[in-house]
Amino acid sequence: MSMLDISRDALMAALLIYSASFIVFMIAVGGKKWSNRDPEAHTRRWGWIAFGFAAAGWAAHVTFFITRWIAGGHIPTSNMYEFMTMLAMAIMTAFIVIYLIYRSALLGAFTLPLVVIVIAYASVFPSEIQPLIPSLNSNWLRLHVTTAALGEAFFAVGFAAALVQLLRVIDFTRTDKAGRKARRWVESFLLVILIVVGFLVSVFSFRLAGYEAVFKQESTKVVQGQEQTIVSQVKYGLPPIVKPYNSEAVQIDSFLGTKESLLAAAPWMKGVNSGRKLNTIVWSVLSGLILYGLLRLIARKQLGAVISPYLSDIDPDDLDEISYRSIAIGYPIFTLGALIFAMIWAQVAWSRFWGWDPKEVWALITWLFYTAYLHLRLSRGWVGSKSAWLAVIGFLVVLFTLIGVNLVIAGLHSYAGVS
Amino acid sequence: MFSNTKCECGHQNHVGTVLCEYCGKPLIESEGNSDEPLEMRYDGVARRSQKANPDVVDLIWNFFSSVKVAVWLIVLTLIGAALGTRFPQEDTFLNLHTYQEFRDFYTSEYGTAGMIYHALGLSRVYHSWWFIGLLVMIATSLVICSLDRVLPLYRALSKQQIRKHLQFITRQQVVYQGPEPADTGPWLDRLERELKKKRFKVLRDKDALMAEKNRFSRWGPYINHIGLIIFLLAVLGRGVPAWNMDQYISLDDGETEQIPDTNYYVKSEKFTVEYYTDEELPPTLKGTLRPKLFNTKATLYACTARCDDPSQEPELKELVTHDIQMNRPLSYHGLKLYQYDFRQQPRLISVSPTITNMRTGETFGPFELPMRNPALTYEVGPYTLTLKDKFMDFGGFDEEGRPMTKSRDPNAPAFIFLVKGPDLPATGETYIYFPKENDKIRFSQDVLNQAVADKLEIRVHDMNNVAFSVYTTTLNVRKDLVMPFVWSGAVIFMIGVIMGLYWNHRRIWLRIDDGVLSLGAHTNKNLYGLRTEVAAALNKSGLPVSEKSLDNRRKSH
Repeated sequence: MSMLDISRDALMAALLIYSASFIVFMIAVGGKKWSNRDPEAHTRRWGWIAFGFAAAGWAAHVTFFITRWIAGGHIPTSNMYEFMTMLAMAIMTAFIVIYLIYRSALLGAFTLPLVVIVIAYASVFPSEIQPLIPSLNSNWLRLHVTTAALGEAFFAVGFAAALVQLLRVIDFTRTDKAGRKARRWVESFLLVILIVVGFLVSVFSFRLAGYEAVFKQESTKVVQGQEQTIVSQVKYGLPPIVKPYNSEAVQIDSFLGTKESLLAAAPWMKGVNSGRKLNTIVWSVLSGLILYGLLRLIARKQLGAVISPYLSDIDPDDLDEISYRSIAIGYPIFTLGALIFAMIWAQVAWSRFWGWDPKEVWALITWLFYTAYLHLRLSRGWVGSKSAWLAVIGFLVVLFTLIGVNLVIAGLHSYAGVS
Repeated sequence: MFSNTKCECGHQNHVGTVLCEYCGKPLIESEGNSDEPLEMRYDGVARRSQKANPDVVDLIWNFFSSVKVAVWLIVLTLIGAALGTRFPQEDTFLNLHTYQEFRDFYTSEYGTAGMIYHALGLSRVYHSWWFIGLLVMIATSLVICSLDRVLPLYRALSKQQIRKHLQFITRQQVVYQGPEPADTGPWLDRLERELKKKRFKVLRDKDALMAEKNRFSRWGPYINHIGLIIFLLAVLGRGVPAWNMDQYISLDDGETEQIPDTNYYVKSEKFTVEYYTDEELPPTLKGTLRPKLFNTKATLYACTARCDDPSQEPELKELVTHDIQMNRPLSYHGLKLYQYDFRQQPRLISVSPTITNMRTGETFGPFELPMRNPALTYEVGPYTLTLKDKFMDFGGFDEEGRPMTKSRDPNAPAFIFLVKGPDLPATGETYIYFPKENDKIRFSQDVLNQAVADKLEIRVHDMNNVAFSVYTTTLNVRKDLVMPFVWSGAVIFMIGVIMGLYWNHRRIWLRIDDGVLSLGAHTNKNLYGLRTEVAAALNKSGLPVSEKSLDNRRKSH
């Protein structure tokens, strides 16, 4: 068995053990109301078992990382697949640190699914090892990427705690306007999470089924006074609800007996890839809504109302503190990794420490956001729900910096292998 | 609003003081919350900005000393920075220059949105007056916010009272109240020992006790602000031209050029580019050109004599030779040379032609003729060649029949020799020589040389006698004298932020009144840790309490 095979198996093992850990964390939190047991002892006992699973999963994850490093000859942080799997490992590291301080089973019940989602998302991208291009061959880059990811991982754990807190303080007995508004916001955010899950579910189901559709787009471009026709092709992994603007089908696998696409992308979405991206978004939203609808049908009440009762034994102030503490630990690490090491590397590689590249700017935006968060907390007394919402939004900013910038804005960091 | 500034303990406080500087009694109360935990920010001291009758300077000071204003500045900077990433900035397009060119480009490339983006100035937002203005305001805010708070806070923390007002103690975040232990004196000794084990500094005043640790962490924010100020000043200092250099130099293999406005010369010995072989590439990348290495072997020289005279060759002293690669610039006394770009552009370095006597068929030579800096005369067998003129990029003849060169780059080199030797007149004959075979045909060398072409021929016989450069490398030459300040600002920031966020300032006050023990504890962050520490100290000294019961916030709901 080659190093690369060991590495792949280790990641699969980590994913399965994390899922097991998630289930045990849910038993720890949800099972305390079962009969014939002391709730506190139950949570403590099962919490430790779940943590044991989490630690074992982490060990497998580290094995994946090291064996892939050996197999590739360079640290596996140089494309989107490698970065996201490493980010998941960093989130687990941050979780282990915070768990050992606060021993909160609830935090596990919310962080583990996040980690599973991140690994699943990583698997959307091509996983082969690519040899390094010269600009990426730098120790500063390695330090920059790993340290920044660790900082972001603490923000992720802060986000998980903030989410628990928001669900915890939500009051389902209130019927006034503010109470309804708070519920609506939390419920919408749960829907956003389900849309992400919907994206993963649809991508992997159609990938397993081997689905493929290919479109061809002809466009004319004036090059040096001469009109040239450029033919570009795009391959869809999901059935085309939306086809690229002004395109022809080359080959479409049948889905639900149809081979037609319902809609075409708007004229301003020129490229073939914007059609594909729009189609992916439509699929994610649709499957997210279907998932949400199914869950609502089963539960027959708002999803927040399903989760909230299980959170009653932890004090919202403690959750507030866990979230804040995690962000406070992450902030210096993030500054060092995402800004200072990044500047040193940029100085060595590109001869300037700052160039207003979109990725740099978004790292700065993330930093400014968490700076505002810390100032609002320390000096303006923003605690509780306000601060929790900031922690949630902050993590969305982190995700945009890591993924959105590569998908939406092209720049120097576009090497990261997002296709 | 701030009328009564004298505390019941007799201490005269500054206007705006929240908690008496001496005993800690709350001075300013909003109604209806007299049991809630105290607002302990800056220990309740009056900030410098809280003055009774502010004048204009005070008003400006007050504006910048507000954290609310600081947060707004941060948020506005954040929004401005985010808007600038919607489309690429102007400086990423090196081939466009004028306002009009940019407007047309943004309109055609990004449509109406692009036109609006450009019209609003968002396409050059990071150099706009308002964005730089925001950064300057943040720097101002950093200075004033820090000064406004650090001095009063320093004053308050350096003269703390051990016995605090009872209300001050019972309205902390962590509070314990209970009957006085039977053996007060020995119990206090035990508690002191426990607290000292946890690295608290303990002070006692009869039956009152104060314990404190990690006060230094309170200075963290001010230190990180100093770091940021240094960083921002250094960044603004990069605008000074003398401290900053940014040049690009393109070199063929073996070419030496002066770095403009300096005493330095740089030579490219050889540029190499390597690509990954198919075996090294994963399946999806096979057959693609994936670069593995760009390397310019470069030598840096300093000019020691004849530097400013273009008619003479400068005298150069070799300083350093280095393989310049991505991520491995050549560095010499603050001067840095980076690998920036390269072009595949074959150019002759030198040829070694021979001279053939067309009558006898005899061949002489070869002799080496470098394109740059050829010798003035060559003795080859019976022939003497004197270089009359050379053209690096031969461009035909002008209206008056004189040969011209199009550039200084050796794209189409041509040499004009005065040749003396067998069958030639004593005064010599003019002979034009194109080393490149295609130039020789293109410019009809034999026609130009007329009758001389029948007497002799200068030519290269095979490729072994040709040295050429395949690539032209482009180096980026940088000098940035403010970089040490940028880095020290960053280091100071890190020290400050770690001090402030990884340690926390914890204090415990205790007093005994009429058989009742009151303990209050405060931390600027990590209440959970403080609660655990106080509970452990009380438990070990023989006073059993549960951790959660100490939390004052819980009691108040």
